Amino acid sequence: MNIEEKIKELERRNLEANLGGGQARIDQQHAKGKMTARERIEYLLDKDSFQELDKFVVHRCHDFGMEKKKIPGDGVVTGYGSIDNRKVFLFSQDFTVFGGSLSGPFGEKVCKVMDLALKNGAPFIGLNDSGGARIQEGIVSLGSYGEIFKRNVLASGVVPQISVIMGPCAGGAVYSPALTDFTIMVKNTSNMFITGPQVIKAVTSEEVTPEELGGAMTHNSKSGVAQFAEDSDQDALDRVKVLLGYLPQNYREKTPTVECSDDPGRTDKALNKVVPTNPKKPYDIKEIIQSVLDDNDFFEVQKHFAMNMVTGFGRLNGLAVGIVANQPKVLAGCLDINASMKCARFVRMCDCFNIPLVTFVDVPGFLPGVNQEYGGIIKHGAKIIYAYCEATVPKITVITRKAYGGAYDVMSSKHHGGDINYAYPTAELAVMGPDGAVNIIFKKEIESADDPETTRDRLVEEYRNNFASPFKAAELGYIDQIIFPENTRPRLIQALMMLKDKKDAIPKRKHGNTPL
Amino acid sequence: MSDVTAPMGGKIIDIKVNVGDTVSENDEVVIIEAMKMELPVVATASGTVKEVKFSNGDAVEADAVLIVLE
Repeated sequence: MNIEEKIKELERRNLEANLGGGQARIDQQHAKGKMTARERIEYLLDKDSFQELDKFVVHRCHDFGMEKKKIPGDGVVTGYGSIDNRKVFLFSQDFTVFGGSLSGPFGEKVCKVMDLALKNGAPFIGLNDSGGARIQEGIVSLGSYGEIFKRNVLASGVVPQISVIMGPCAGGAVYSPALTDFTIMVKNTSNMFITGPQVIKAVTSEEVTPEELGGAMTHNSKSGVAQFAEDSDQDALDRVKVLLGYLPQNYREKTPTVECSDDPGRTDKALNKVVPTNPKKPYDIKEIIQSVLDDNDFFEVQKHFAMNMVTGFGRLNGLAVGIVANQPKVLAGCLDINASMKCARFVRMCDCFNIPLVTFVDVPGFLPGVNQEYGGIIKHGAKIIYAYCEATVPKITVITRKAYGGAYDVMSSKHHGGDINYAYPTAELAVMGPDGAVNIIFKKEIESADDPETTRDRLVEEYRNNFASPFKAAELGYIDQIIFPENTRPRLIQALMMLKDKKDAIPKRKHGNTPL
Repeated sequence: MSDVTAPMGGKIIDIKVNVGDTVSENDEVVIIEAMKMELPVVATASGTVKEVKFSNGDAVEADAVLIVLE
């Protein structure tokens, strides 16, 4: 072969690899409304930034006639590139090649880019579209899954890891996304489950469709496995780009600061009226969140799950912050099992990646119920405590109204390391609500009164005025400042600017034993 | 047909509709008091009230059917 022939051979091989499983399978992929593995990469990364690795890798299986079926790349496209000029590593599973099934060499390719991401401190993105293990490879395939899981764990908290589910993701394959920081699912075309509908039917006789069992909305609203549900491949990839904008490259770096055109001193008189005077009236906490953030831009995370707890990202004076908030209009803002898990996981993720936390508190307590107790609300609620106490990022708290009982402590209180704790004048910090407290403290007085109801009402009112306010807490230094709601944005920004270079540490150890 | 269910356990303090009333989606139909909060319960669909299952002051559990619409 002369040099020209060698170049032609490379070109031929490149073209062959680019076609994956062939045009017919590509057409099938498109017919399902899905992009191909390569189209996804091209859409996600900055133009011409993608550098592919291991394009000519093929499997080494000699059983079941597989030696006659080899396709360069072996079902996954891997490499690196950039998004908004920031380096990322990624894989994109190719459903047109053996159904995207995972072989030994497929796993080796994925592990190679994971190792590079970890050593070079850049985010790792997985685009999943796979039938699962390649059965012909037997246990080699399982070994490969295991190697990937181990790397997911080792990379956890070192570099951000994002999984996008853009097709089937079943059996063991689900555990790689489950170990990453974020899972984004595409509606109607993706699903995730450990055991599929057919196995479930055979074992338990339950009948369920794949979409009901493990579709995007199931995992976004019921199980909490995923954080985002998107309408299309493009929307899901757009979500990755925005999400990365709030995250640093790795745990040693800070999040990217963007130019802020929104006045840091901007006040909002409407905020004075968001919290109703009647403490029994619900309101939407997101009105406050949106009002205070730069350009009123709130990027909500896991918005369909445990809606009594709101989590998400935004910016204050250009700096990324993680927002955690109780939502009074759902379940009265109570903390329950799901809200606790959602909150704790988000707080830990923010702490991993140096994202300051801003917590809005309006919580009447933990949700009472036999199911909650049997379900282990004690250990799940403890996760919030653990997460906040362990977090060394700047922690700013705003108590808008209720902060009652144990729930007061839990929600980024001073005692758990809140750096600056604000309260609105409408705040009610107390060991319990006025009705309950009066019934206990003044039990005898009420019972012996000529008119118990009037006496009780009077005592409740007195208790509310004297104790269910921010002033007792402010006298004790549990609240640093009582602020006018209209000034929330400037106060948050002042605190954040004061705290942005905060250094704090927790005692050294192998690792803590967080409640699970 | 669509059922309006309790979003959480609590006490019914106001039922805003009667059998035969027409309601639109997202109309407030019941108020439940729970955990020091008066939570509005809204119609999940437009329709006519076929049955009101509880009265003021009744305690209800989470997910209990409050109102049947058709």
